[in-house]
Amino acid sequence: MIAKIICYALNGLEGVPVEVEADVNKGVPSYDMVGLPDAAVKESKERVRSALKNSGLLFPMNRITINFAPADLKKEGAGFDLAIAVSLLKASEQLLGADVKDIVFLGELALTGDLRPISGLLPILISAKAHGFTRFVIPAENSEEARYLGGAEIYPAHSLGEVVKHLVGVQPILPLDTAEFVPGKGKKGSADLKYVKGQPIARRALEIAVAGGHNLLMSGPPGTGKTMLARCLPTIMPDLSFEEALEITKIHSVAGVLGEEGIVSERPFRTPHHTATTVSMCGGGNRIVHPGEISLAHGGVLFLDELPEYKRSTLEALRQPLEDGKITVSRAGGSFTYPSRFMLCASMNPCPCGNYGSADRICTCTPAEIRRYRRKISGPLLDRIDLQVEVDNITYDDLTSEEVNEDSETVKARVNAARRIQRNRFEGLPINTNAEMGEKEIQEFCRLTREGDKILRDAFDRMKLSARARARIVKVARTIADLDNSEDILPKHVFEAVSYRLYDKLG
Amino acid sequence: MKYTKEERAIIYLSAMSGKDYRSCVSLLLSSQDPATLITEEEDRRAAEYLSELRRRGIFAVTLASDDYPAALKQINDPPLLLYGAGRRELLSRKMFCIVGSRITPPWAEKIGKELSRTLSEQFVIVTGLAEGGDGAAIAGAIESGNLICVLPCGLGQCYPAAHAGLKERILQKGLLLSEYPPDTVAAKYVFHARNRILAGLSEGVLVLSAGERSGALITASRALDYGRDVFALPYNPGISRGEGCNELIKKGAFLVTDAEDILSVYGMESAPRGEEMPEGREGEIVTLLRSNGEMHAAQIATMLGMKIFEATAMLSSLELKGLAVKSGGNKYSAV
Repeated sequence: MIAKIICYALNGLEGVPVEVEADVNKGVPSYDMVGLPDAAVKESKERVRSALKNSGLLFPMNRITINFAPADLKKEGAGFDLAIAVSLLKASEQLLGADVKDIVFLGELALTGDLRPISGLLPILISAKAHGFTRFVIPAENSEEARYLGGAEIYPAHSLGEVVKHLVGVQPILPLDTAEFVPGKGKKGSADLKYVKGQPIARRALEIAVAGGHNLLMSGPPGTGKTMLARCLPTIMPDLSFEEALEITKIHSVAGVLGEEGIVSERPFRTPHHTATTVSMCGGGNRIVHPGEISLAHGGVLFLDELPEYKRSTLEALRQPLEDGKITVSRAGGSFTYPSRFMLCASMNPCPCGNYGSADRICTCTPAEIRRYRRKISGPLLDRIDLQVEVDNITYDDLTSEEVNEDSETVKARVNAARRIQRNRFEGLPINTNAEMGEKEIQEFCRLTREGDKILRDAFDRMKLSARARARIVKVARTIADLDNSEDILPKHVFEAVSYRLYDKLG
Repeated sequence: MKYTKEERAIIYLSAMSGKDYRSCVSLLLSSQDPATLITEEEDRRAAEYLSELRRRGIFAVTLASDDYPAALKQINDPPLLLYGAGRRELLSRKMFCIVGSRITPPWAEKIGKELSRTLSEQFVIVTGLAEGGDGAAIAGAIESGNLICVLPCGLGQCYPAAHAGLKERILQKGLLLSEYPPDTVAAKYVFHARNRILAGLSEGVLVLSAGERSGALITASRALDYGRDVFALPYNPGISRGEGCNELIKKGAFLVTDAEDILSVYGMESAPRGEEMPEGREGEIVTLLRSNGEMHAAQIATMLGMKIFEATAMLSSLELKGLAVKSGGNKYSAV
């Protein structure tokens, strides 16, 4: 008898339906798998055999053939175990009366018959639902992330035994109830701007950067709180929408870094160490391509501490994803595209000894050394960082300004307001924030007053700014005007934008 | 440009004979007419060398030349031969030297640039090609073209290499000088020798910035040896880039706060110039900066009761107007 069971394989972030066919025939006992299974799938033979036996079920001592269709797709991983086991049971007539049609079975088996969780479950469920499947049997440990799918019957099982009892109707499993998405629910970080002492200039730069989606570079002596400031970035970014959360969760699920709460409810903050390789940054792998740090930071912040210490090639590889918001990695096994729309936040020391501009220590570097240090960051990369700000270590004991200790919520409210203005402005366009504007949009939305234009011209002459720098200053000025709730870009907005350029002046 | 046989003799002796400075000098002193010191063959080779130099746009000035700077002749070890490129006529003008250490605070650079600009109306400014103090002097004087840069290497080389573009501009507008044949690479020990030329050419030396052991101090002490005036910019006590300057002032150097302090020593006056003062809040910032010296942007904002980003915007406006300058760590000072 032949049994057909539906299972899913992952191809990048997309689930691809795979039919597992089992044929149990009379003949010399044998057990074959065809249909391009990889090593881990082939090994499931033994897992399935033991799992059946240890669940009190019968492993058919007949001629068994398992086929995976479509045959041209390489099947990888252990997620097919449950589907193989169920197809064997069905084919050997141990599931009489059970309805397995159109149920998707997912899960890895332990030798005891227990079900183990698989990575990438949520993207599979989302694809399968789009393909019209509405009933799923999944490992109970994956329940948390599956809960957010909604509009489907999802049965979490702890073991193969439970699955069988459920299918034959002896002891049905209760389907999962759908969970409501609450942004920031699983909030772990304790970062908040109210814990940052002083730093009014850097705070303001953070606010502008988030409001307009600009990338940010912080330069300052060691121990001035650059990392702490960066950690506050997610806390002032707008809340995740459910769609964004799902997209981020898909990536994290495929990478196998999803936490216990099952869905990413707050914006990711990734801090790859400066020894990170290009592959770990951009994604890669032998056959299946794993998402890299830039994709894991999708929707959130990629924080590169000590920017000049990163390998040049790794940094240069960021340029294209920064521009496109996605990365396509090609390998022998195919090419995969992962979204990577992240905010880049980088920090660096101002010079090799770190004390340039310090309030209490003396810098011992020569100008040539400082130049060499800064030159480690290429112009094209710097061109993509709209805001550059100095973080200093002045003491604020004598400063009593009320804006110094604002908390993240207050800043976030202003950011949200500025984002609303941008959403209205870019209605019907494929961009959401000021930072994404191209030359055409700048022409359309960033008309400067005559006075503002003259200021920029002066700035050009004085600071020897490049044409690209002009576009960036204008974009930042647009965001500052938005924060000010001003329709026009006024001279003061341009002046402030000009003050956030550090390394254009140094030549 | 024609060279006399006497000039060719000096050029041959100091550049081509392989003799060192001392033996060249004693040879020249021992003979009545330097022209007799070389043979016909050697004279021909010197002429060839000169035409080769001319092809590269370089001229040679010898102790025997008419336009050899008079001030330089007075020192006890004048270079026998100087290579030059650019405006030769500057050699016969009055010169004033402005130097400073490579790390010069931005405010001092700004002042140095202004001083250099004003002084270049009456003097030819002499300096090196390094960044910092030298850079400020160049930036001020290059507009008028009354600028001589003395290189520590041959004219075909550039030290520091990063200033190759600047060197080209000076070549267009001013004059480059060097004691060394065009392809000589800078060595550590030549800076002392170069500094003696800086001091020797000039009527006076202004030191913009100098740490305890800065090369700018060597130029100043050479100037004293040669009986030239020494001027220095005053610093707050405890600022590491200013110890040398304060030390010079203690020992009797002229304290300089504006160009008048220098010009009056030479009985000159600068052309009067109206100073613009911005209106409103920007004016308040300038007043505050002028009375308090270097200040952090946040301090300014607090003292004037404005939001920090309003203050940074105005400061950046003042910066573009040339009235304030930003140093490291978000600090600003008036100019």
